[in-house]
Amino acid sequence: MAFEIPKISYNGAIKEIPLGKEASRMIVGGETCYPFYLFEGDMPRPPKIAMEVYDAPPDDWPQAALEPFADVLQDPAAWAQKCVASYGAEMIALQLASTDPNTQDTPAEQAVEVTKKVAAAIEVPLIVWGSANLEKDTQVLKMIAEECAGENLILGPVEEGSYKALGAASLAYQHTIGASTPIDVNLAKQLNILLGNLGVPDERILVDPTVGSLGYGLEYCYSVMERDRMAALTQEDERLQFPIVCNLAKEVWKIKESKISEEEAPLLGDPSKRGVLLEAMTALLLLLAGADILIMRHPDAVQLIRGFVNELIAN
Amino acid sequence: MSKIICSAAIRGAHKIVETAEAKYQEALEKWGPDQDIGFPNTAYYLPIIYGISGIAVKKLGDVEQVLERCRSLLPDMVSEDVWLPYLAPALEAGMATLFAEEIIEAIRYLETPDFYTKTEDPSNGNLWLGAADDVILRKRGVEFVDGTAPGFAAILGAPPTEEIAVQLARELQEKNLYVFMCADHEGRTMSEMLVEAGIQVGWGTRLVSFGPEYTATIFAMGFATRAAMSFGGVKPGDFRGILFYNKDRIFAFAMPLGTVTDEWYANAAGAINWGFPTIADTPIPEVLPTGICTYEHVVSNVPYDELVARAIEVRGLKVTVAKVPIPVSYGPAFEGERVRKDDLYLECGGGKTQAVEWATTRGMDEVEDGKIELFGPDVDDVGEGAKLPLAIVAEFAGRKMQEDFEPILERQIHHFVNYAQGLMHIGQRDIAWIRMAKAAAGKGLKLKHIGDILHAKFHQDFGAIFDKVQVKIYTEEDKVREMLEKARGVYRHRDARIEGMTDETTETFYSCTLCQSFAPNHVCIISPERTGLCGAYNWMDCKASYEINPTGPNQPVEKGDTIDPKLGQWKGCNDFLYKASRQALDHYNFYSIVHDPMTTCGCCECIAAILPICNGVMTVDRDCRGMTPCGMKFTTLAGTIGGGASVPGFLGHSKYNITQKKWLLGDGGIKRLVWMPKHLKEEIADRLKKQAEEIGIPDLPDMIADETIGTSEEEILPFLEEKGHPALSMDPLLE
Repeated sequence: MAFEIPKISYNGAIKEIPLGKEASRMIVGGETCYPFYLFEGDMPRPPKIAMEVYDAPPDDWPQAALEPFADVLQDPAAWAQKCVASYGAEMIALQLASTDPNTQDTPAEQAVEVTKKVAAAIEVPLIVWGSANLEKDTQVLKMIAEECAGENLILGPVEEGSYKALGAASLAYQHTIGASTPIDVNLAKQLNILLGNLGVPDERILVDPTVGSLGYGLEYCYSVMERDRMAALTQEDERLQFPIVCNLAKEVWKIKESKISEEEAPLLGDPSKRGVLLEAMTALLLLLAGADILIMRHPDAVQLIRGFVNELIAN
Repeated sequence: MSKIICSAAIRGAHKIVETAEAKYQEALEKWGPDQDIGFPNTAYYLPIIYGISGIAVKKLGDVEQVLERCRSLLPDMVSEDVWLPYLAPALEAGMATLFAEEIIEAIRYLETPDFYTKTEDPSNGNLWLGAADDVILRKRGVEFVDGTAPGFAAILGAPPTEEIAVQLARELQEKNLYVFMCADHEGRTMSEMLVEAGIQVGWGTRLVSFGPEYTATIFAMGFATRAAMSFGGVKPGDFRGILFYNKDRIFAFAMPLGTVTDEWYANAAGAINWGFPTIADTPIPEVLPTGICTYEHVVSNVPYDELVARAIEVRGLKVTVAKVPIPVSYGPAFEGERVRKDDLYLECGGGKTQAVEWATTRGMDEVEDGKIELFGPDVDDVGEGAKLPLAIVAEFAGRKMQEDFEPILERQIHHFVNYAQGLMHIGQRDIAWIRMAKAAAGKGLKLKHIGDILHAKFHQDFGAIFDKVQVKIYTEEDKVREMLEKARGVYRHRDARIEGMTDETTETFYSCTLCQSFAPNHVCIISPERTGLCGAYNWMDCKASYEINPTGPNQPVEKGDTIDPKLGQWKGCNDFLYKASRQALDHYNFYSIVHDPMTTCGCCECIAAILPICNGVMTVDRDCRGMTPCGMKFTTLAGTIGGGASVPGFLGHSKYNITQKKWLLGDGGIKRLVWMPKHLKEEIADRLKKQAEEIGIPDLPDMIADETIGTSEEEILPFLEEKGHPALSMDPLLE
């Protein structure tokens, strides 16, 4: 008798979520198998890479991360354009880091202005991510939702404490939600249920499971994402069948190993490559765990990952 | 439905549709069919007509087909001497009314463009705002979705005095409801009364002066209809979707103040289509059976001071309490905090005095939500170090409240009281024990605050299963005794009720997948005679948990066809298990340790294991740290079988389960039990004795070995032989 490779019988599929403006519609999701298990099912759309743009020039980035963007750091709109034109970003993720009350605490009105400028400068879908300060995010993202009506932005993080306000705003002004929960399958599911109860249609929800960097608890995030996908694809867990967005770059580039100089840590290797590789490795692992959208920073890391995805899909 | 109401509504509808027709003909002659018509700045045309029928009225000529629709909806007048079911015709008459009124108001915009301000607030001396444009709809509609405004009161007419008008408006505002006002009673309108009393009206204060005539009700109904399309994603013409969205999500009601005319009845009938009931101050006939609305349809003759409370109750609006109103910090962080003797200000229960807790159900009219009463001395009436008897009685009322929820709600008192800084709570039922720290007493904490805590927290966490709760706290000896006796009677009743249930007579079991966060393949299925292995969830708890959170970890499992009655296996349970375990398992048995036993997450209170030489089983609980006759300690056993595996020969179960009739019944039942730790045997002694008597071996407890006899099979076997333990003469456990 010939050996037969055992196959998993899937009974679920990831929902397809349309992103961006009508004219430049992009769809994510649609998988009917575990990530890249193309011998068992389909992955109709390869994972997408969104490149980061910051609302204010960053002051804590290592040289390696700053270099590619040196000419555009002051201008988020130009930065976004550069990511699309020069590095082929499929989406842009505008990080509203300066709105954080613990740093610059820039007002919501300013965030609205920046968002409008960036949205006008690009055709690709735009993710707008707050500073993960619940109160401020609620205020800022609500105002952005209102002022950028009809842009179909992806607004996040939408958390259990803000889902009502931001869910309602995204319903009224037609945006997509990045539903964010702290590394837990049950919490992720619960938030999706709550959003559904509020009336947010499924095609407006993406899941942010919260991720960490390689070397800083990535294994745990990996397991949770894996569980997420198992529940979605083999357990008919309808409230987990959403594409996953991983906001990884800011996690990778804040760790000591991506910042420390060669003089201080000669054994860690060339700092101009170190952060890039850490970012690419983190992204790669998250891809294998089930990411649909990767929020990345460095063009070289982006290129590495893109090559990897193409190879996996081609084979 | 009341014949009087229906005939009035249908009469009113006829009049209103006739008016609309006349207005239309008049307008048609004046402007012609190509004249643009509609409400200002909206993409929803005439929203009720657009939403319900799908007809987009853009030109005056489009009105014709709407009027045709009205005529076809209009039922014949109700005959004096024929009695028929009237609900459906009345609802259709109501719908025709709203269509017709929308036409009337749209023509008004044409004829008198400045009749309404078209703004958010009254301007240039004009009080009447008219239709909300789409900007207002989005901005205000968001509040309906995120819950900052649960709904609206559509007020027709006016109360007899300005004071009452102000009082009503204030009360509705306090409940965060919008007040949509229209129509007059004897020439006076609520909006004008409020303005005369110096109250600011407009969207900003949520007191919306839509218009002076009854036809302006359609601005309220149109707002609700657009909310369903804008926020609910309901497509125009999907009337079912629109009406259900409003019934389920917009907590609105009509409040006619003053003489209810035929036209008002017609509007009220229209509103019932949306699930909005009518609460009236005048003695009109009532329509109490539920059906279209969540609860009653028409409630009347309500005194002014009860009007808002009654409306909220009839519409099923839930009370929300944002913060626990007590003078000390409050939160789960304080749950584990101890109040030691040296810090002690006041103590209730704990063997020194009697303390008792009791959650019970009362009628809707017997409970005033948020009422907290203390009978007897409070903290400031006694000195430091005092001891008081205490009875806490929480009285619930609600449409969904069930007797089965009482023990679950009662058990929460422990957590809720503990969350307060400086309050310690131990035990439950009639062995409750509360200590208050000096620091808490110093900050002004009173026993009465326990009532405030319970009211706020019950609403926050369990609002889904009840509507109202009031708390009575007794600190007088005789009163406490009286409550204690009542509560004990209830405890006995409850215990008997769950004990009387059997798996055979129960069709629905409940799953528990709470532990899948760390044991992803494990699925508990809990039946009346196999309580959760963690000891925390019995069948009743799961049922209640499901009612409270229908999408949570406890889901109903229809047990389905019986596959094996002896071992306890059902088809429905297997199907559920297959899916919920992510295809890891396709069956298990409820009553066997030998044949495909149920899995454990690792939270089990006890683990049973077979002892082949003794032809029996042992069980060991988590608190036993020593060696057991199976050669493994509890921790080793837990590590071996936890995580969702079905391991023949080993079984996770709760302490309570040991004395349930079905425990290991497939393998011979409790007669197989040959060893258990001494403290466990003592803990369950009463029930063990009872169960032993029931199976006809009254001295079974004495035949069960413990660690004082031995911790290996060889050591305990002689003891079993000496006592003549029944397991030794049973069929071989392993075949």
